[in-house]
Amino acid sequence: MKPADKKAYDKDYALAKKTGKPFFPYAIFKDTIVAGLTIVGIIVLAIVVKVEVGEPVNAATTDFVPRPEWYFYFAFELLKIFANQDVLTPVIMATFMVPNILIILLVVWPFIDRGPERRIWKRPFAMGMIVLVTGFLCYTTYLGAKTPAGVSSQGLPVSGLDEAGTAGMQVFMDNGCGSCHMVAGVGAPGPGPDLTNFGSKGWDEAKQIAWLKAPNPPMPSYASLPPADLEALATFVNGLGTKYK
Amino acid sequence: MTTKDIGPKNPVQKSADATIDYVDERSGVKTGTRWFLFRNIPEGTSWYQTLGFTAMVVFGMQAITGIILAMYYVPDTRGGAYESIQRITEEVTWGWLVRGMHKWGASVMIIVVFLHMARVFIWGAYKYPRELTWVTGAFLLLLTMFMGLTGYLLVWDQKAYWATVVAVNIFASAPIVGPYIGDILRAGPEFGPATLSRFYSIHMLVIPGAIATFIGLHLYFIVRLGISEPPWSKRRLRIERDEEDARREAARERAKALPGAVTYPATWPVKAEEGVR
Repeated sequence: MKPADKKAYDKDYALAKKTGKPFFPYAIFKDTIVAGLTIVGIIVLAIVVKVEVGEPVNAATTDFVPRPEWYFYFAFELLKIFANQDVLTPVIMATFMVPNILIILLVVWPFIDRGPERRIWKRPFAMGMIVLVTGFLCYTTYLGAKTPAGVSSQGLPVSGLDEAGTAGMQVFMDNGCGSCHMVAGVGAPGPGPDLTNFGSKGWDEAKQIAWLKAPNPPMPSYASLPPADLEALATFVNGLGTKYK
Repeated sequence: MTTKDIGPKNPVQKSADATIDYVDERSGVKTGTRWFLFRNIPEGTSWYQTLGFTAMVVFGMQAITGIILAMYYVPDTRGGAYESIQRITEEVTWGWLVRGMHKWGASVMIIVVFLHMARVFIWGAYKYPRELTWVTGAFLLLLTMFMGLTGYLLVWDQKAYWATVVAVNIFASAPIVGPYIGDILRAGPEFGPATLSRFYSIHMLVIPGAIATFIGLHLYFIVRLGISEPPWSKRRLRIERDEEDARREAARERAKALPGAVTYPATWPVKAEEGVR
């Protein structure tokens, strides 16, 4: 804004204030009604949809469904969007680049858009931005809400299983791997990558076990599994798409 | 106060006035109240402008319900955290309601804060001179989300635990500083008892303190700079109409002044007129 625009705004606002009305009681009246209704709404929600007590934490059995609160679904969906891409490092893109760019944009926005214009229909760019961002947030939140909560007990449509493969698939299912990874169309489409063809990467068992014990975030570590389970799981995952189709 | 003394006052009122005067002399509380409550706001101030106050009230409710929950909650992973949540929900009188209000309050607060921000954005209310009000508000949004993240772990059930493991892993995946942030959040390389205590203290001491500070700053800016006027307030629309009329009038006058130029349309823009002249 140019100094002249600033001056014009200050003058105009001073006039608006002069011809205005006192904050108390006019604004406080409206504020109290809306805030009061909101609190009543919260109490009604708390009565109608009662809180539950979930299962106690068991850090050893990793049969879990990693679902955040609904207002983080969008971040979770970002993980999924980038999980199956081999561009850059997907996790960095989804969890670092995109959110931080959004946060920086949010904080510095008034220093980007400095024009004196305030009328909605004269600011198509700003309006486009908010429609885009709100639409993206609503859509990803919807996707997150739609995702089934857990798929760990389902069987996997994989054939050619030998003894080690069957044991590995059992470990895979018991530990809820399917709530982040998809195999042959079964399981959650993310945040983890699709493992249907993982065997084509040609990892050996040691590499796979080392990965399971210390994977890249956000995948949690499976170092607490018994060694036999880890071996079976590694064999199963390394054979997906090659030995086990 | 300079009221006219028209007779003997009620002694109670007299001493109350004396007390207020005593406090005001030392603190300026009267001036402060007048500055805060009896400031003028633009005529057209609308219902959309109640969302900020609402967010603040919901924060207050979260603080009160949170304090009540803290009276019963035990931040101990080795038998305590989960059990105390169970006790609050199933045994403590009205415990289920207080916990329910706290949980729903978190979701509602996110929605209200977001709507408030959208209103400010759509109205262009973040423009001069209110840029810093927006910046403090943006930090309040981030702090509110962080509040949700840290509070989610405290119930210490499977869902909360694993979602937070993933969330902390996400923070830890940031380049360079990520591993340090991860260690700070987890209170070490592994998730454990110290992690819960840390989240508990962040959730009920660090972030509430930060939020209260930023609300204070936010309010100071709002009172100092004044609440913005709706871009379509009656006063603004009148001014715009008057400006438009004046522009047309000027164009018409100039058109008349030019010999043989009466065929110019009345709405001929002023700029173009100047070019002709």
